[in-house]
Amino acid sequence: MKRSYVPVTLLLVVLMLNIIFTQYMVHQYFYENYSNTIIAAVINVILFPIAFIIYKKGVKVND
Amino acid sequence: MSDKNNKIPFNEDNYTHNINRNNERKLDRRGFMKTLVGAAGVFAVSSLPWGALAAKELSGLGDKKYPKQKIAKVDSLAIGDSVDFAFPGEHDSAILIRLSEKKYVAYQNACTHLRCPVFWKKDEGEMICPCHHGKFDVNSGEPTAGPPRRPLPEIQVKEENGAVYAVGVKRYEA
Ligand code: FES
Repeated sequence: MKRSYVPVTLLLVVLMLNIIFTQYMVHQYFYENYSNTIIAAVINVILFPIAFIIYKKGVKVND
Repeated sequence: MSDKNNKIPFNEDNYTHNINRNNERKLDRRGFMKTLVGAAGVFAVSSLPWGALAAKELSGLGDKKYPKQKIAKVDSLAIGDSVDFAFPGEHDSAILIRLSEKKYVAYQNACTHLRCPVFWKKDEGEMICPCHHGKFDVNSGEPTAGPPRRPLPEIQVKEENGAVYAVGVKRYEA
């Protein structure tokens, strides 16, 4: 039983990025920089499939 | 079922022998990753309304049209002087400043800190908020000192037939 913690680490990185971009998005919204808001929102949305792929790859590596 | 449980007393000193709670609440690696993916999903979904609102602002759908409004006669306003008016609503106080022969700027003059009225200080060439000494750049409305962090909303003005009109409220661009 060999487990890999690489996917776990990657997912934690994704979560960190989510937090960063969410905060950035909200701040940019209230600073009225709307294009930055949209960029941050898109990144946040894209991070979800990335997280899902990491998970899919990660569970195959045994548990 | 064996008749093990029917013996009274049990021939063990452990009365919880059939309760096995080992690992009952263990969060294994897989479960932890599932939680993280779920969190990413929540972040993604909660980003959507912000993106939508921002897109709405960008596309100008949120911009309102206001009827143009006369502010002052050109000859009643010397270069470097300012006049207060209200635009677009009668309670949205605003200030018009004549910077040069042809250059007028107008802002809604409620300070972006706590909404004190900002006034024009001619000899310092700055707009000043008396409440907490906030200062604004007269050309852009950007805050230059003090607590305000957001620019004053700019009002678009037009000179026509010897008078200055307010025609709209400009969106602040980064
Ligand atoms: S209200 Fe203008 S600086 Fe505080």
